[in-house]
Amino acid sequence: MLIRLRGGHVVDPVNGVDGVADIYFEDGRIVAPPPGREPDEDHDVSGHIVMAGAIDIHSHIAGGNVNSARLLLPEMHRSIRARLAGTPLSTAKWSTFETGRLYAQMGFTTVVEPAVAPHHALHAHLELGDVPIIDKGALTVLGNDDFLLGALREGESETAIADYVAQTVEATGTLGLKCINPGGADAFKQNMRAFGLDEIVPFYGVTSRQIFKSLQKATQTVGIPHPLHLHMNNLGIAGNIETALATIDAAEGLPMHLAHVQFYAYGVDGKNAFSSAAPALAAKINANKNITVDVGAVMFGDTVTISSDVLRQFNSLSGAIPKKGVIFDGDANGGGVVPYAYRISNYYNAIQWAAGLELFLLIDDPLQVFFTTDHPNGGPFTTYPELFALLMSAELRARWMERLPADVLEMTTLPSINREYSLYEIALMSRAGPARLYGFADRGRLDAGSIADIAVYKQQTDKAGMFRNAAYVFKDGELVVRDGSVTRYTKGKTLRVRPGYDRAIEKRLDAYYDQLYGLSRSIFDVPEAALAGRSRYAEVACRK
Amino acid sequence: MVETSVEAMSNATLDGKSISSEDAYEQAAKILQAANFPLVAGLGADVAGAQAAILLAERLRGAFDHLASRDSLTDLEVVRSAGIFVTTPNEARVRADLALLVGSGLTGYWPAIFERLALDKETVHGGKTKRRVIWVGPKRGEAKIEGVEVETIPATEAELPGVLAALRARVGGRPTALSAAATKKLDAAAEALKSARFGVAVWAAAGLDSLMVEMLQGMITELNGTTRFTGVPIGGRSGATGVLQTSAWMTGFPPRTGFGRGYPEHDAWRFEARRLVESGEADAALWISAYDGEPPPWEDADIPVVTLGPPGAATKRGLFIAVGKPGENYDAVEFAQETSSMVLRRAKAPAELPTVAEAIAAISARFSEDLPC
Repeated sequence: MLIRLRGGHVVDPVNGVDGVADIYFEDGRIVAPPPGREPDEDHDVSGHIVMAGAIDIHSHIAGGNVNSARLLLPEMHRSIRARLAGTPLSTAKWSTFETGRLYAQMGFTTVVEPAVAPHHALHAHLELGDVPIIDKGALTVLGNDDFLLGALREGESETAIADYVAQTVEATGTLGLKCINPGGADAFKQNMRAFGLDEIVPFYGVTSRQIFKSLQKATQTVGIPHPLHLHMNNLGIAGNIETALATIDAAEGLPMHLAHVQFYAYGVDGKNAFSSAAPALAAKINANKNITVDVGAVMFGDTVTISSDVLRQFNSLSGAIPKKGVIFDGDANGGGVVPYAYRISNYYNAIQWAAGLELFLLIDDPLQVFFTTDHPNGGPFTTYPELFALLMSAELRARWMERLPADVLEMTTLPSINREYSLYEIALMSRAGPARLYGFADRGRLDAGSIADIAVYKQQTDKAGMFRNAAYVFKDGELVVRDGSVTRYTKGKTLRVRPGYDRAIEKRLDAYYDQLYGLSRSIFDVPEAALAGRSRYAEVACRK
Repeated sequence: MVETSVEAMSNATLDGKSISSEDAYEQAAKILQAANFPLVAGLGADVAGAQAAILLAERLRGAFDHLASRDSLTDLEVVRSAGIFVTTPNEARVRADLALLVGSGLTGYWPAIFERLALDKETVHGGKTKRRVIWVGPKRGEAKIEGVEVETIPATEAELPGVLAALRARVGGRPTALSAAATKKLDAAAEALKSARFGVAVWAAAGLDSLMVEMLQGMITELNGTTRFTGVPIGGRSGATGVLQTSAWMTGFPPRTGFGRGYPEHDAWRFEARRLVESGEADAALWISAYDGEPPPWEDADIPVVTLGPPGAATKRGLFIAVGKPGENYDAVEFAQETSSMVLRRAKAPAELPTVAEAIAAISARFSEDLPC
């Protein structure tokens, strides 16, 4: 069936398009206007903005730690309304089903869960399989695992580590590799309470720097399109700007993605010894084109922090709101779940909010910086529309700033920044950039051959309202959202890479599991049969 | 004799008499669809079975509960009121230099416990060390682990809460009302806990109550002030932990959740299976116990009950449909105690029996069209 979206304002930065045009699609793909054929279905979208479906590059939507958070905080997600027909559990708050519905309503069609522990990969995939409509992907976490740390201690070859990385990514069915406080989770098991870039993991004799550099290199070697996704040391600590700057230097010009950098943009100025260091971090990112970042912006409200940085989460426990949490020492990273409330009246929280916006506004190239609130760590993904609006209006920011504690404005440059994002830049940051970051050749763009994931927003002055409720969303060419409501479920795919490697590593790993755990390594497999048709994989090509 | 065995092997019975699967599914659909507030209970099932059962309860606007919810909720009450420290049995195996075993009957709740924890072997991660093992409140003669010198702190079931409280007090340097001799013994144990490098407490919620688990976790929190200490919980029977996890991602809540208003509401009292049946609030039930055919907990159900269980578990009254045993008769995903993660168990003895999910799908396929999706 040929469908046409007629007369909309198309914003498609990959193809340099920013103007009124018609979009045609058929059988799930965008097609060139077919000469001599009338569309079977025609939608008049004049007065609307047409973009590719948005891509969220980092959002904690599935897996054991997220599920622990659900169980920890029943009071946070009481449901309040019944669902529409054909969308089971879509109003069950914080359920996987609701997650798919809410993303779709905002015009997001692909979301990456960034923290899958290898031994819990099947669990994560089961949850992703129960997220309707959108396509999903994930990142595998290494960097606190005994096999890697042991290999580094023994000075093993880069080839062996590359094979291990490729094998683990393939076995866990993800899009690449994430490293979370490299060595820090293991150090915490050995009773260290802080862990910096050049501190040594006891027993292994390797530093954080060595760990992530080896993984960064391996990721490049095996051709995984997404560069190493790094959650740095010292998250959330005053003065940690130094860690961030030193980490960027440590990348030595090779591609690397730094996660939720707002949480690393802190100086020690002012009477509270806590200030925004976002300008220095932004300048460093502007000068290092090999680096991409997502912001992890803070938005005010009640939330919960979910992180595989167990050391950091343990240290956060004393400030939990409400006062409870889960600390899980996993086989490698594990995880910590600590509820928190960001308050506009709280000096520290207000600095965090401002630092996030400064980063968005001071990083010049929208292809280097991505939308995230590190859902739910800085705030839930449902705050994205407000965040889009804040980036698009200096006047709106000024109104918010009036409500901050007065001394905050002395510790951030936000009041002096006049930049306003255009829709084109928003599309760069939320569509074109993320596709490039993950090596998606046919997403985040609207030219012929691309997947017909399309978001249509009614133009209005209230930008948050515009992005909160898409007028139409098509997923693989099927209409799934109309006037901000999900009308039906479709089944999304799970995107993965399959990097090549020397299969000899499998034998070695088999022996390692037998010896260490007295268990067959296959117990941790994620066979497609286990997903029972709930998840379908789609492959993203690796670089040759 | 031949007749009896055919009947025992029958895939479906009504009031003990063999009926065709087709009739059974048809009847089950009628019973469940006609109910005002149907209960999906037992839920002794693999993940796919639980997914199907929860979606069924939601579609019918009924409620669901698991047969071992009491045990899951014992730990969960502590999680949601105070929080929890946990690790995996494998991490305990490779790293824990001290194991504090709490309560009696641990090998009953988890037969492979000591094979997995390997307390007789030295630790591997963080350096090689011999383990120290302290068992609080074992039954007489129970505290024996091959190759391990087990120190015991005696306590009867009734004494266990008080002994745990006293141990926690001594860890924190607080006074207790115990005799000098008893205090001395506890002090030695407290000192051992404090000097552990990476200690683990191992308990089964089935043998404790929430206040005891909270006492234990409170002690673990205090121990983490100076060293590392965490816990290894032993989960409930019949797939309880896997169903709990599935329920959490699907609805946000654990079992004992109802959909009467069209969205999930969790209430551990209101949606308890036995209470719903005995009070008459539920007017039909689907009882699922695919692992071992455990019978329902309620007395004299006056309501129509559809049972899904292994072939040998056919009920004398009501409708029974045989299903395979998850991970035994069919490949099934479940929560593995030994890895503390979801795993695929391959069938060891494949059988021509429907899976729980297939049986529910067959029932759902026979609902009349006036039941919306």
